[in-house]
Amino acid sequence: MLTLENVRKAYGARVAVDDLSFEVRAGEVFGLLGPNGAGKSTTVSLGVGLLEPDAGRVDLGGLGAPTRPEVRARLGVAPQALALYEDLTAEENLRFFARIFGLRGTALAGRVEAALALAGLTDRRAERAVTFSGGMKRRLNIAAALVHEPSLVLLDEPTVGVDPQSRNAILDRIVALRDAGLTVIYTTHYMEEAARICDRVAIIDHGRLLALDTVDALIARHGGDPVLVATTSGGTHRESTPDPVAALARLAATATVLDFHVERADLEHVFLRLTGRSLRD
Amino acid sequence: MHAILTIAAKDLRLLARNRGHLVFTFVWPLVTALFFGTIFGGNGDDSGKIPVLLVDEDASEGSAALLAAVGRLSGVDAKANVEGRAAALGAVRRGDATAAVIAPKGYGAAGDRLFAGDPPVIELHVDPSRTAEAAMLEGQLMGAAMERLSDVFAGGERSVRVVDRALVEANTAARPDPVLTGFLGEVKRFVGTRTQASADAAGPAEGGAWRPVAITRHDVKDERDGPRSGYEVSLPQGVIWGMIGCALGFAMGLVNERTRGTLSRLCTSPIGRAHVLAGKGVACFIALVAVQVMLFVLGAVALGVVPGSLPRLIVAGLSLAIAFVGLMMVVATFARSEQSASGLAWALFLPLSMLGGGMVPLFALPGWMQTAGTFSPIKWGILALEGALWRGFGWAELALPCGVLLAVGLVGFGVAARRFDRTA
Ligand SMILES: Nc1ncnc2c1ncn2[C@@H]1O[C@H](COP(=O)(O)OP(=O)(O)OP(=O)(O)O)[C@@H](O)[C@H]1O
Ligand SMILES: [Mg+2]
Repeated sequence: MLTLENVRKAYGARVAVDDLSFEVRAGEVFGLLGPNGAGKSTTVSLGVGLLEPDAGRVDLGGLGAPTRPEVRARLGVAPQALALYEDLTAEENLRFFARIFGLRGTALAGRVEAALALAGLTDRRAERAVTFSGGMKRRLNIAAALVHEPSLVLLDEPTVGVDPQSRNAILDRIVALRDAGLTVIYTTHYMEEAARICDRVAIIDHGRLLALDTVDALIARHGGDPVLVATTSGGTHRESTPDPVAALARLAATATVLDFHVERADLEHVFLRLTGRSLRD
Repeated sequence: MHAILTIAAKDLRLLARNRGHLVFTFVWPLVTALFFGTIFGGNGDDSGKIPVLLVDEDASEGSAALLAAVGRLSGVDAKANVEGRAAALGAVRRGDATAAVIAPKGYGAAGDRLFAGDPPVIELHVDPSRTAEAAMLEGQLMGAAMERLSDVFAGGERSVRVVDRALVEANTAARPDPVLTGFLGEVKRFVGTRTQASADAAGPAEGGAWRPVAITRHDVKDERDGPRSGYEVSLPQGVIWGMIGCALGFAMGLVNERTRGTLSRLCTSPIGRAHVLAGKGVACFIALVAVQVMLFVLGAVALGVVPGSLPRLIVAGLSLAIAFVGLMMVVATFARSEQSASGLAWALFLPLSMLGGGMVPLFALPGWMQTAGTFSPIKWGILALEGALWRGFGWAELALPCGVLLAVGLVGFGVAARRFDRTA
């Protein structure tokens, strides 16, 4: 669907994206994980043709670079910074963006209606965006990316500041859209979100791709062994081992185990091991 | 095209919802026009009365009484002109007076004949562009003549003489009118009893085409080279400020799209960057024209600034709007933030306006500034507007300022489009 080949982008002397290559497959949710300044938003901008790469090639479904207007018509983007007209109402914002993408008449009305429902703003459609809470604006920002039914949508940290119920609803909706054939590129700082909806995840830092695979495969390869944590009469015992059951049995033979649990590696472990820093800095 | 109109409609809607922008666009220029117009002399006369010169070439009792009646009219600031017809017409031509009323030789004699022969003639010489005043004066002159006629019926020796003579003339006419002679007999009895006469002239009017006086209107070609009132100078200045306020608002709007990220969103859509810019330009153009329409209509209705040529004013106004669309785009595409946009705009517009006569009228500026003003599009804007309003420019004379304005607009759009393409 979207292919980046040896893409490089620098702002002056600072290299934001460095020799980055990956391919997003049609119909998958592709996660883009990385610490602040890793180059996620820059990658998104390159993917939607807002930026042109200094080197390398971006191609959308064999149609060519997204800098071309006819390729762009198939794209939707929810920028990290809210991109809305605050003095327009929710409905007016969506109508405007739908028109810009060429929708007319009943098709437009139907799409606007669906987008309002997606954002959960149907009953506040006639209110100006400036009067919305941060989370409502975020939801409207996502809806504006989807209103014209793109075949590839890039969501740059779309759920920051959205409450858990709304976030759940949005994630469910994204999965439903994916099941209906939409391809999604999703950048986030929330590991559990990535683990929940991403079919594959790319971890990048300093503009370079560190790993790319399914969440399970990433954990299996980079998460390290499970950790057995046991409380004995002698104190707390931590042991990293590929076979925690055997380790527990060994421990129980030498001491009285009062309590124990196994810490399995998750995406955050993977991330820490790969980047050397925590996401939530 | 559809995309451009969609963007333009959105921008106009945003304008309508931005109170600050609205004030700067519509209210501020009006305040400027009123303020400077009042400072630079307002209407020319404070009374609000129409200045009229009176010339009595007949020097009869009747003409003197008529002119005295005109002089008593409210709404008229009458002056008896001692130097005669030529001087009076010259004054109207120069715009020192709106009209001249001349009672020509033979007025009194014709007036005494009353119901026979041609009615007495009063000449009304007036600037053809002042149609409203001319119509009003004509009506008031007729009223004054009627008032004179009523004097006839007020009794006295003259009344009797006038009616006697009218009777004689009516009876000796080729086809005597029995209604008229009968009526005049009644009038004679009425006047003879010296009863207070009614001023009502309706009786004689039954005769059909009969008029107590014939008013002939003569157009006096306006040969002034100066403005009629301070408002004719300040209204174009107000328009310029309206253009600046409106263009600045749109420049801010475009910068705002950049900082808010909506521009990025637009740039990820299939429409081109040039469309985004053109849509803004169309909206800005419509708003600029709306400001002009509002100001010129108000100027005509409230300040009495009536354009010498409406078609030329339209051409001048459209050219001015195009120039400001170009300037707006340059400001918008060179500024990175709202602050730098307003800074850049004022750094650009203030000196241009100062040199171009947007603050102090050009003629009041020192010579070197007038020369430097040649490089200010605002000077050409004011010149084009004044040319159509009161300078009496022909199309040929209007071509230069309008050409400069169009060039400014096109160059501005070109520069902005190039820059926008690289930076959006
Ligand atoms: N317009 C710009 N001008 C100069 N440098 C920039 C610009 N945009 C991004 N950068 C730099 O490029 C690098 C990558 O930035 P980018 O916004 O892509 O990171 P990110 O992964 O999206 O970060 P975050 O998680 O904070 O959103 C950073 O070092 C940033 O400082
Ligand atoms: Mg980012």
